[in-house]
Amino acid sequence: MTVSAIEFSRLGPPKLRLYAMRCANGHLSPWWEHHHCYQCGSDTLTEQELAGTGELSNYTVVYYPPRDFLGQEPYVVGHITMDEGVLMPAPVVGVAPEDVTVGTRVKATLRRMKLGHEGDIYYSQKFVVDKDAAAPEGQPS
Amino acid sequence: MRVGVLGIGKTPHKIQHGKSLRGLAVESGRAAISDAGLDPADIQALYVGNVGSVGFNYENSTGLMIAHHLGVVPAGSVRVEAACGTGAWALHLGCVAILSGLYDTVMVLGAEKMNDLATVEGTSIIAQAADSKEEYFSGLTFPSGVALTARKYMQTYGLTEEDLAHTSVKNHHYGARNPYAHLRFECTVEEVMRSAKVADPLKLYEVCPMTDASSALVLCREEILRDQPDKPQVYVTATQMATGTWYAATDTLDDAHALFAAPAERAYTMAGIAADDVDVAEIYNSFAIQEPLGIEGLGFAEKGKGWQGAADGSTWIDGEVGINLSGGLLCKGHPLGATGTTQAVDVVEQLRGTAPPDMQRRDAAIGVSACRGGPGAVGAIHVYQRLEG
Repeated sequence: MTVSAIEFSRLGPPKLRLYAMRCANGHLSPWWEHHHCYQCGSDTLTEQELAGTGELSNYTVVYYPPRDFLGQEPYVVGHITMDEGVLMPAPVVGVAPEDVTVGTRVKATLRRMKLGHEGDIYYSQKFVVDKDAAAPEGQPS
Repeated sequence: MRVGVLGIGKTPHKIQHGKSLRGLAVESGRAAISDAGLDPADIQALYVGNVGSVGFNYENSTGLMIAHHLGVVPAGSVRVEAACGTGAWALHLGCVAILSGLYDTVMVLGAEKMNDLATVEGTSIIAQAADSKEEYFSGLTFPSGVALTARKYMQTYGLTEEDLAHTSVKNHHYGARNPYAHLRFECTVEEVMRSAKVADPLKLYEVCPMTDASSALVLCREEILRDQPDKPQVYVTATQMATGTWYAATDTLDDAHALFAAPAERAYTMAGIAADDVDVAEIYNSFAIQEPLGIEGLGFAEKGKGWQGAADGSTWIDGEVGINLSGGLLCKGHPLGATGTTQAVDVVEQLRGTAPPDMQRRDAAIGVSACRGGPGAVGAIHVYQRLEG
């Protein structure tokens, strides 16, 4: 992967690892650039690696995508509550929209996110349905 | 506080390929100056609300450009930007400028020309009003971010998509009667439900169009308007702003309520009114779900019940409070920087009694405009009152 200086500054650091920001008081915030904890205001933040598994807690199906997602519609994007408790906005790929629901178990996977100028390819975390996860109680696996 | 509304003006809201951004601005600006009975030279400062001219039109320095073409040189001019709350912020700054005592007469003008580009490009530019480097990098758009809010709202309060569809039906009832609206047709709940999916559960009739438009107000010191009793005595009596969450992922329903509830409470206190006193309100609804959330935030309904008024009539023209009798953003469209100023113009028309007949609330004397912007980032409340004698 190459990252031009211009694209890098536009896009922020590439998200090759899945992490959250942990503040001095132990609160977790999503992975984007933070300068304070949203819960307590602490300005001491460090990265914490996440296991990569979680549950789809809210989602939508996009039929009119932005430029970088043209051709992928309809696609699922939503909020994933990671097992560590932090909320991640991310697409869920490799699954038909009708096959996901609130509560679907998902796991992170590194995928191409967008094509940049001059053929640059940007990778980041998307999610796929976690078929290894135990089915919720009361539902057939 | 009292700030006089000396003049108002607006262009039609629609796709206007034959007009430029500056042309639209001049059209509304001249209308407002003429309505105020002034000359361009009487304007002492110009606040231009414009969100995306750099992207939509490849133009910058929008405030200066419009000042030049409107002929208000050498008045000070500046462009104001606060996502979809831009026009309301321009209005706030105009009010503050008058209240400061520095100026006697200022102009607040919103303008946006969005249809020079295809929808996909426009959507990408609009997405920059959120954190496009981080959150919207994930494939979220404004419609899909708000769709997540709609799903949360439905799940929390046990509502169906049909329940929410009534909001679009009401807006389109009035939008069809508004000669300045972009979408002028009526629709039924069934037609809302059948309209194309945009981002589940939002459907096409629950989403505003991208629109080219401008609107403007001339504001003045209270005494200037009071000394002209032949002019409609409509004043801005409160202006209050708030900032909320910048990310859809961290925006809870409570945050969405607070974005309006906190500045609304301050605004009602500032104006010396209560929510029950309000006759008409223009509430931001680029997506239908934002209207019930706004109704609740403004104190017109309890949490989870803001959608009911569109179904039972209590937010229609003869109901307890007339909400979006202009057709709202769903029908007028959402010309980003002009949206807040058009809301203001439409409320002032109601208080003057000059709204089109089928949209005019009888004896409207107290009005509110509520504008918001970003995923949950900007809240703006203005109160307007007709004060005779």
